[in-house]
Amino acid sequence: MSAPDDAAVGNRKGSRRAIAFVLRLREAGVLVFLAALGTLFAVLTNTFLTTQNLTTVASSAAILAIAACAQAVVLLTRNLDVSVGAMMGFAAYLTADFAARHPAIAPWQLVLIPLAIGAALGAINGLLVAYGKVPALIATLGTMSLYRGLTYVYAHGQEVTSSRLPPWMLTSVDARIAGVPLLAAAATAIVVIVWAFLQYFPWGRRIYAVGSNPLAAFYFGLRAERVVLMAYTLCGVLCGAAGLLYAARVGTVTVVLASGWEMSSLAAAVIGGVSVSGGAGSVIGAALGAVVLATIDNGLVLLAVPEFWRMFIQGVAIVAAVAADAAIASGIRASLRTRGAK
Amino acid sequence: MVNRRELGKLGAGLVLAGLAPRLATAKDSGFKIMMTPKWTGFPYFELTGDGAKAAAKELGDTLIYAGADHADVSLQVETLQNFVNQKPDAIILAAIDLNAVAPVLEEARKKGIVVTTYDADAAVPARDMFVNQLSYEQAAKVMLDAALIDVPEGGEIAFVAASPTSPNHMAHIKIMTELTKTDPKYQVFKVVDTQFAGDDDAKSYDVAVNLMQAHPNLKVIISSSAVSAPAAARAIEASGHVGKVYATGFALPSAIKRYLENGSQKAFAFWDPFELGYVAAYETHMKLAGKFDPSKVGATIEVPKANATFTAGKDGEVVYGKPLIFTKDTVGKYDF
Amino acid sequence: MKDDRTKRPVRPQWPAWEMTLAALIVAAGVWSTTLSPYYLSLDQIFGSTRFFIIPGLLALGLAMVVSLGEIDISLASTVAVGTVTLSKLSMFGVPIGFAAAAVVAIGALLGTLNGVLAARFGLPSLAVTLGAMGAYRGLAFIVGSEVGYTDFNDSYRWLGATRLFDDIVPVSLLAFAAVAVAVWLLMHRTVFGRYCFSIGLNRDASWFAGVNVVKIKICAYALASALAGLAAVVWVGQYGSARGDNADGSILFVVTAVVLGGMDINGGRGTIGGVVLALMLLGTLRNGMGLANIGGPTQTVVLGVLLVGGVLRPAVAAALARLRRPDNADV
Repeated sequence: MSAPDDAAVGNRKGSRRAIAFVLRLREAGVLVFLAALGTLFAVLTNTFLTTQNLTTVASSAAILAIAACAQAVVLLTRNLDVSVGAMMGFAAYLTADFAARHPAIAPWQLVLIPLAIGAALGAINGLLVAYGKVPALIATLGTMSLYRGLTYVYAHGQEVTSSRLPPWMLTSVDARIAGVPLLAAAATAIVVIVWAFLQYFPWGRRIYAVGSNPLAAFYFGLRAERVVLMAYTLCGVLCGAAGLLYAARVGTVTVVLASGWEMSSLAAAVIGGVSVSGGAGSVIGAALGAVVLATIDNGLVLLAVPEFWRMFIQGVAIVAAVAADAAIASGIRASLRTRGAK
Repeated sequence: MVNRRELGKLGAGLVLAGLAPRLATAKDSGFKIMMTPKWTGFPYFELTGDGAKAAAKELGDTLIYAGADHADVSLQVETLQNFVNQKPDAIILAAIDLNAVAPVLEEARKKGIVVTTYDADAAVPARDMFVNQLSYEQAAKVMLDAALIDVPEGGEIAFVAASPTSPNHMAHIKIMTELTKTDPKYQVFKVVDTQFAGDDDAKSYDVAVNLMQAHPNLKVIISSSAVSAPAAARAIEASGHVGKVYATGFALPSAIKRYLENGSQKAFAFWDPFELGYVAAYETHMKLAGKFDPSKVGATIEVPKANATFTAGKDGEVVYGKPLIFTKDTVGKYDF
Repeated sequence: MKDDRTKRPVRPQWPAWEMTLAALIVAAGVWSTTLSPYYLSLDQIFGSTRFFIIPGLLALGLAMVVSLGEIDISLASTVAVGTVTLSKLSMFGVPIGFAAAAVVAIGALLGTLNGVLAARFGLPSLAVTLGAMGAYRGLAFIVGSEVGYTDFNDSYRWLGATRLFDDIVPVSLLAFAAVAVAVWLLMHRTVFGRYCFSIGLNRDASWFAGVNVVKIKICAYALASALAGLAAVVWVGQYGSARGDNADGSILFVVTAVVLGGMDINGGRGTIGGVVLALMLLGTLRNGMGLANIGGPTQTVVLGVLLVGGVLRPAVAAALARLRRPDNADV
């Protein structure tokens, strides 16, 4: 972007600061929530705040964080993807099955398979939504059935068991670098890369532009279709990665792998302050949302809280997170208005 | 497992030859049997289906195996209703919710259809017989026996069940808890926790990891779920608890082969699902042919291929009762 | 302005899609007849409708919410709250009339809660009802405790279990038909329905026109969840079982029926008739494939293709039209 005239610079600086403020606050919301949860569990149990337990939480949250990040990319364009779990399952099963049949395959080659499958599946979603003009919920509801159904048909009542997978696949996800689980490190890296892409690259910024105001983006000359297609494809690639990690982590790859993750990824993104009406939030927030869910799971087991309360508490947490988010957003809007008046 | 099919053929032939003249009036074969598992696409249920199909083929029956792709009770009832409308001679099922399937099964029985449950029972008046893989007591004991192989000196144990609404898992847990208090053999164990993982692999993994965090002295994680037990084994391996914590319970040998062979686990238990399906279909056939009446306590049936004679117990329950314990040395012998 | 509008015949958008659905139902029926010799019998067909009453009631309720441009994915969890509440009431020997009214009222209450959060506080409905879905499911488990309840007496089971006219027509089907007519009247023949669609088309314009947007939205949510309460009464009759996991996972099918019925997920467009036709289509297909013992996975694939194909139709038609007149092709 070239340097505009002085008045505009002044204005833009103000608005830039405001936007930075907004973004910081959005993640601050979930961070405060997380800190409160952490404090609560740390007070109530003496095992929560140990390094070992915290690394456990981190590796539990890792894969969901990637899935939530995938969901967030699509949510930012004012769309939705309920085929997240089905894409993960499809990519994971085909990859695991391939690995079982070709145990000699090099790791880097194998990693490309789920990414390519994810990209293809995501692109189908993107084409349907962007060019087919099918509402996102319907399109991905349909492809969810389709992808999951095809996984069943392909698997033919089989599963890929841990003894058939190449051993490196399992040992690599168990590895720790300086005490940090590789899984958590990989997830962090992926989320940060996606965040940087959305933040600093024109293509990434366009996702925000299309999501926050499609009409303005259109008049600005953005081809919304391409941006939406790209977002879905990126979502698919991330699901492919998440699916592979899921398969390697659990060891037994079944046809139902990651079923229901469309809802958990959505929940994580929403808790993390990603707006379901597009354009607001960040993938880091979504990843933190996944950490919140994993923390609740972990803390409630440590406290030996009955299963039923877990569901109830997570549900209430989602509503609370959305409410807090809305309150923050309206506060920001008010503060922007006063800034504008000045 | 010696050549199942040939033995079966031989056995079926013998039985037919021996018993046929006695009941010449009753139809002997060519029955239409329809079977639905809890959900299709899970290897365990597919194996029971294969077993049942093998029995039907030997006995000259038609067996149709179908069902929804996930465990949803309303879909199962719909499947059963569709079965009833196709006027089969018998229905075999593994019930998701023992009560919710009862109305449609009672309708089936009113129409003269023989109803057999296997794996998971339906309400007693809704079915003719229940081919139970293991009695609850037997299941509880075999899982604790496997736990004893893991940790002979005993210690803290925790359970992972599918959900508080799954009757057999809850019954197993109840009996195991009692046994650890009353039976001297199992008194070395102390039950510290029960968690639920909904037959979901990732959830089971996380629950196992969280259990190990919550109970630093935990020795064994026991699960009746064939999904949760391998996931727990994997969690132990991945989180560096090998040798400190063991997983056991029911699991397909293929799913836990890795952990037994690499020494991170010592013992799991199960039964032969192929044979369970075979026996369920075989007994259903004999009931249809009038050669076996499960409603009479003490009635016996010989299933040559399974190499065993089964006896009808209370409420038409026929216990298959052949638990298998897999260890490093034996796991390689099983092909499922 | 206003006179102009009232003079215009205010037919709901009836033509193309509903006709297509009707044609598809006939085609599906014919296909089912060839698939299975057991399909074509009154007893069989009426019997099979019972499996679509519960999702059907939820779909009618969801259609009201969707007409506003909102969504409620917590409805299936509300059914579970309803069934376990019925089990408690049955335990205390409460007469069914009172129990049913109470469950419908509790449904309405839960719906009101969703509505207040979504409409009064302006929270996104998908996020709110996602939370509510978990919270209400948890609530159902907490109320219902671990074991299912089955000792419902015959009066509790009448609505869901009885079949009239020579044991052919299920009572629940008649109840569904009555509800469908009522919802159709409400949405297409009353001011309330007109307001719903107008809010869905343009919320702000409706507000400026003096429509109490918040109140209408809350009402729609409450009505939808009240129907979920009614669905709970049917559930108890049909399955004779109340557990916290009742109707778990059925919401996706309900959403499918609503959008396949032509309801615009962004609100403002669609007909109740379309939703009912979509239910009949899905029902016929599932019944036919079920009777032919076609496996669950294949059915899932067929459903997915149908859904995508169904909604892709306008885009394909537009693309074909563009192909036919290449000179007019622009972006």
